[in-house]
Amino acid sequence: MTAMCDVSFLLLTFFMLTAKAKPQEPVVVDTPSSISETKLPESGTLTILVDKEGKIFLDMTGQHTRYSLISDMNSQYQMGLTEEEMKKFSIFGAFGVPRKDLRKWLAMNSSERQNAANFPGIPADSVGNELGPWIHNARLAQFRLKQEGIVPEEYVIVLKADKDTPYPAIQKVLNTLSDINVNKFNLITNLEADPNKTQGL
Amino acid sequence: MAEIQTADSGARKKGGGKVRSKKLSTRVDLTPMVDLAFLLITFFMLTTTLAKPQIMPVVMPEKKITEEDVVETKESQVLTLLLGADDKVYYYEGITDAKLDSTDFSAEGLRKVILDKKRRVKEEWGDMEREDPKNPGQKKMVSRLNVLIKPTKESRYKNLVDAFDEMKITNVAMYVLLDISEQEEEFIRNPAGGLKFSVEEQIEAIQKTTKKGQ
Repeated sequence: MTAMCDVSFLLLTFFMLTAKAKPQEPVVVDTPSSISETKLPESGTLTILVDKEGKIFLDMTGQHTRYSLISDMNSQYQMGLTEEEMKKFSIFGAFGVPRKDLRKWLAMNSSERQNAANFPGIPADSVGNELGPWIHNARLAQFRLKQEGIVPEEYVIVLKADKDTPYPAIQKVLNTLSDINVNKFNLITNLEADPNKTQGL
Repeated sequence: MAEIQTADSGARKKGGGKVRSKKLSTRVDLTPMVDLAFLLITFFMLTTTLAKPQIMPVVMPEKKITEEDVVETKESQVLTLLLGADDKVYYYEGITDAKLDSTDFSAEGLRKVILDKKRRVKEEWGDMEREDPKNPGQKKMVSRLNVLIKPTKESRYKNLVDAFDEMKITNVAMYVLLDISEQEEEFIRNPAGGLKFSVEEQIEAIQKTTKKGQ
């Protein structure tokens, strides 16, 4: 019994120390696989989530940046958010609502925020594109904080899309990124075996 | 939890002459603690993401390209992939009198097509020297093959990633993601009609959209 207790506590300690809570995402995204072995960096990522139906969500790390971003957006687009709502935004996760509905999103409780059916996604059509300003301002905010030495790196832009997402939805995101001059980004993929290594092609 | 009893030394067994203290275990019952420990282990195991996801870096060209950025290529060095519905890939070589063929994303399908084209390009034109992106300052030999990837509206995201992946597996140095043209959509619907897409239109399409993956 003592041995079992020892082992179980050892494992417990291990899992506690390595634990990093799964980021809560409002949509389940089944990413396609590729042979790329580059790992996603721990921090400083700006994730564009695209679900099966092509709804776009946005998530970024860093409370300071998020706060800075939302106060920029608030003054730029007159969203009329209170200080308290902006603080809330800085600790929440991925969002997928048009700007006008952001207030409603902030007022939701956590289980409502996990339900993707509540959200229409961020508009990314060429007319009334809101995704572009969000990403652009987020990068600016992160850059500014980096200059001030608060965050160590600039944002790495990652696109996490479901493998069944129709291409036109992806195309909208790619066009938006190219419009705001984001030419380097990353696609999140699962690992699959490289045939060159396994078969010696 | 732990019970430590002091043996009553005064108690004597009937008829027994010797005084023997009762042996009692000083062990603690660990079962509840182990239960709790395993419960916590299970919780942390389930909430932990041990494997970090992989990423595939993509580089697109600037939106505005200058004359200097334009690299001329030969028609016979170009392979166009049209990613269609139901995980099908249509492909044609060059532009003039192009013949449409289709394949799939399996190792026997698209990979063979690309490797075959690459071999033919090498036989005809040889390889070319180019800056090695991994070791700056050094040159390496790369294929002259140019692959244009054009997803149709019916294709899904997986097809795009698979196509990029295939470029990496077959070591194609130059590939571009472009928007599909109406002429090419018509070509898929009616392959016998031939591709009504001139070289000039192709160049214009590239300059207009210019999305280059590398």
